[in-house]
Amino acid sequence: MAYSDKVIDHYENPRNVGSLDKSDDNVGTGIVGAPACGDVMKLQIRVEDGVITDAKFKTYGCGSAIASSSLVTEWVKGMKVEDAMEIQNSQIAEELSLPPVKIHCSVLAEDAIKAAIRDYQSRQAAEPADEEGAR
Amino acid sequence: MAVASPSPSESVADHFARFGLAPRYAIDRDALESEYLRRAAQTHPDRFVGRPSGEQRAAMEAAAAINEGYRILRDPVQRAEYLCKLAGIDLDSSDPRGGAPHMSQAFLVEMIERREKVESARAEGASALQALRDQVEGEADETLDEAADALDDDDPNGAARLLVKRRYLQRLLDEIDGEH
Repeated sequence: MAYSDKVIDHYENPRNVGSLDKSDDNVGTGIVGAPACGDVMKLQIRVEDGVITDAKFKTYGCGSAIASSSLVTEWVKGMKVEDAMEIQNSQIAEELSLPPVKIHCSVLAEDAIKAAIRDYQSRQAAEPADEEGAR
Repeated sequence: MAVASPSPSESVADHFARFGLAPRYAIDRDALESEYLRRAAQTHPDRFVGRPSGEQRAAMEAAAAINEGYRILRDPVQRAEYLCKLAGIDLDSSDPRGGAPHMSQAFLVEMIERREKVESARAEGASALQALRDQVEGEADETLDEAADALDDDDPNGAARLLVKRRYLQRLLDEIDGEH
């Protein structure tokens, strides 16, 4: 399988590998899996004032899956939560020049960031609104 | 490369029928072996030298189908996954409809945690890693046995879930072995 230079770059020098404290209410955690290949991906975001200030991932899978999640963590830092929710797998696949057989890796990364945002939002909804009283 | 459509008798027949076997998980391996050798000899390209090109191509396609069928049926995992495919569940597809079934969030969380444990076991040393490997391998084998039981019980959906679980365990083993 010929990987694009960008995939190889992210695979060899993955950005933002690691974990955030998942019990922190400002942290959203998304864990997704690709049933067809058995890859698993954990993507976490830290949100302050509606902006993603940090993102970490751990992906156990092929080079394209690692590159897709690495790229997403790079993209979302500094993004508003609602803008990050708009990320489409096609943008990831295009940026990394993923071949058709690896498109599902970009789908996994899109699912992971969306799952992380939803987890963050549900934590905020469950939390009494004493921290962000303005809204 | 453009190829003519394969002759219907070979492409439509499922691999079990191709070797005269009932579509079940338990197979007679000797029967598979001898039927494979017989069919492979029948379709060998040497037998079609000087024949019309259409016949040669049909023989080549038949030989390819026989090889593929043999490769799938002799492997227990692939055979089980193929039985799911015959039941309409393609484990190689990520499509929510008719593709590999998605696992529960709890299972995925467990998989992440267990893969993180691989890193700490690796740091502990070879014996810790081997113990973890033995455990995961035993679990993968057990899961395949459960999938075979589900197939015998005519429960392809249950079998598909177990076979997907086995794929995750296989990837965990690959992780332990340092393969991607």
